[in-house]
Amino acid sequence: MSGRAIFTTAFLLKGSFIVALFILIFTSSVSYKHTVVIAESTELLVRSYKIQIQLEQLVSYVKDAETGERGYIITRDSDFLQPYNTARDKIKGTLFALQYLTSQNLRQQHNLDSLLLLVNLRLALLKSSLEISSAENLNKRWLEENMTKGRKTMDIIRSQINKMIDLEVSNFNEHQKKYNREISITPIFTLFLFTVTLIFLIFSYLKINQDLEIQKRTNEKLLISIESIKHAEIIGEFGTSQWNLKTNKRYYSDNLYALLGCEPQSFEATVENFLKFVHPDDRHIVTNGVKEVTDNNPFPVEYRIIRKDGEIRFFKSIGKFITDNGNSKLYIGISRDITQQHLTEQALVERNRELEHSVNELESFNRVASHDLQEPLRKIQTFISRISEKELSAMSETSKEYFARIKTSASRMRTLIDDLLLFSRANKIEKVFEKTDFNQILESVRQELSQTIEEKNAVIRSASLPTLNVIPFQIQQLFINLIGNSLKYSNPDVPPEIKIECEIMSAGTSPILEGNASTNYYKISVTDNGLGFEQKYADHIFVLFHRLHNKSEYPGTGIGLAICKKIVENHNGFITAKGIPGIGSTFTIFLPA
Amino acid sequence: MEIQNDVMHILLADDDEDDRLFFRDAFEEIKIKTKVETVNDGVELMNYLTQPNIKLPHILFLDLNMPRKGGIDCLLELKRMDQVKNIAVVIYSTSASEEDIEETFVLGANVYLKKPNDFSTLKKTLEAVITTNWQYHTSGLNRDNFILSI
Repeated sequence: MSGRAIFTTAFLLKGSFIVALFILIFTSSVSYKHTVVIAESTELLVRSYKIQIQLEQLVSYVKDAETGERGYIITRDSDFLQPYNTARDKIKGTLFALQYLTSQNLRQQHNLDSLLLLVNLRLALLKSSLEISSAENLNKRWLEENMTKGRKTMDIIRSQINKMIDLEVSNFNEHQKKYNREISITPIFTLFLFTVTLIFLIFSYLKINQDLEIQKRTNEKLLISIESIKHAEIIGEFGTSQWNLKTNKRYYSDNLYALLGCEPQSFEATVENFLKFVHPDDRHIVTNGVKEVTDNNPFPVEYRIIRKDGEIRFFKSIGKFITDNGNSKLYIGISRDITQQHLTEQALVERNRELEHSVNELESFNRVASHDLQEPLRKIQTFISRISEKELSAMSETSKEYFARIKTSASRMRTLIDDLLLFSRANKIEKVFEKTDFNQILESVRQELSQTIEEKNAVIRSASLPTLNVIPFQIQQLFINLIGNSLKYSNPDVPPEIKIECEIMSAGTSPILEGNASTNYYKISVTDNGLGFEQKYADHIFVLFHRLHNKSEYPGTGIGLAICKKIVENHNGFITAKGIPGIGSTFTIFLPA
Repeated sequence: MEIQNDVMHILLADDDEDDRLFFRDAFEEIKIKTKVETVNDGVELMNYLTQPNIKLPHILFLDLNMPRKGGIDCLLELKRMDQVKNIAVVIYSTSASEEDIEETFVLGANVYLKKPNDFSTLKKTLEAVITTNWQYHTSGLNRDNFILSI
């Protein structure tokens, strides 16, 4: 938008300049023309006036000659002939002047020619009158005739002169009319032009002012954004570069220089200069990156930089092509100092490897320990069985009792090792998920535990259970452990009653499920009427080797529920326990639907 | 039965002295007439079987975890030798890991026996093994009856 505003302002400026120039040239040419016309009129007026004076003079000269002659004829005094004698020359001079003055008017020249003839005729008549009167025998009739002729000629001269003066006056008037006509249009036109120019100038002024205001605001915004980019670069530890493909000119931002440990713009922005800072082993990465950019396929590159102060930093660069208004292709690059991130990542990778290593070690230790422990134990047990078969009768009562204790300890050791093996198997990631009918699983669990169920007269009631995608043998183990626990920790006086319930629920309805991806869970609970436990132990019982009862009362290893927890976790589920001492306990598992 | 007329030859390859002792004692107490030989590891086993004019055993009990040459290697070699490949092989091991069971089954062992924890079970199990005619049993062999439990 701002770009367009600036564009129109420039256009407007150029336009008003051209219009103003045009108007100026026009008005000055008009006024020049007027001046010329006025000068012409003045000249014409002066000439007409001069012509009139000359004509009047001509008449008066002729009259003077006439009057002189008359005086002479009457008085015979030759003094009177003085004006007559000089008249010829004076008339000649006047005619000459008139000829000059009318040189540009053809009609007036014709008139002048006629006037010349008439004047000459009058002079000739004067001469002849003079000759007649001077003769010895004055012929009165001739003189009279001559004088009458002279008077008539004089009348004609007068009318001719009047005609000429009239013509001059009418010429002048015509000219004046034309001049007035032209002059009268000019002020209106000038006023019109002036008004147009004024409107145009005011409009331009307002528009330019408005555009300047916009430009000012845009400039302010630009300044703020430049400043914020500068700070963003410093905070984000990145620098930017620009590369104009048309001019092959590059620009590096101040912070890019700073990241290299240099003063802003302290060297020319070229690939060669930049490469000087790149670690020698990584230069090919950057050169390849630049080549790929030229091939129009920018991708992120990671490399090391040796800063001016010698410190090694890790950089990551990526860029993008844009095309600006002027249609020149621009490559915008971002180079980030990722040293911190790189080091953290490296440390993390290292930690991960260590962790993986120690997990593996632990697992193999677990497996080896349980396997290798089995062998000596098996032998102990076999020897025990041999002795009890053959030698028991020969033993003293004390030895017999001690021997029985050895046997119990050995079989307890056996259970521990077997449970540990089960636990490590539950840990091991052999996750083969299959669609499994939980009702069938429960049936096979009943069969496996049938002996105990019969012994204790237990009743197991179950709702219809779902079919889920699970690891079958692990789910079977889970139910064996849960139901086995209910049977084991039963109330000695009451036959065990175990109730298995199932419902589907959404993740939001229970606090322990909150924030989990799967929206629906199957909630399967196993409730018994056994010994129960105090609620404060609810979390402890899932911890490996944690027991709530004395092992002489209730044999166990403290691994069973830990295995349950492991199995449920393997299925991305949750397990909780609730107990009331003497009333019973409920174990609830949540499995994603 | 044919076996009762003739003495049954049984060979055990096991590096553990105690286990060899239990094994011999068990057969002494079993009523069936048997001749039990033992070797201490895989190398000895292969030497024993490749002796000239040797009377080959009817059943070979093979421990898996032995020094020098383990049970799996022995099984591999045995099944490649024409004269001994038809001997019934009983895997006799402390562990009963899935991998071991799977591998020995694939390699052609006839039965997998986990060493029992008491002597009377050992006797019962061994008796069950030798009263089965493994020569004819192999054809119907499958994954389910491979592991022997009494």
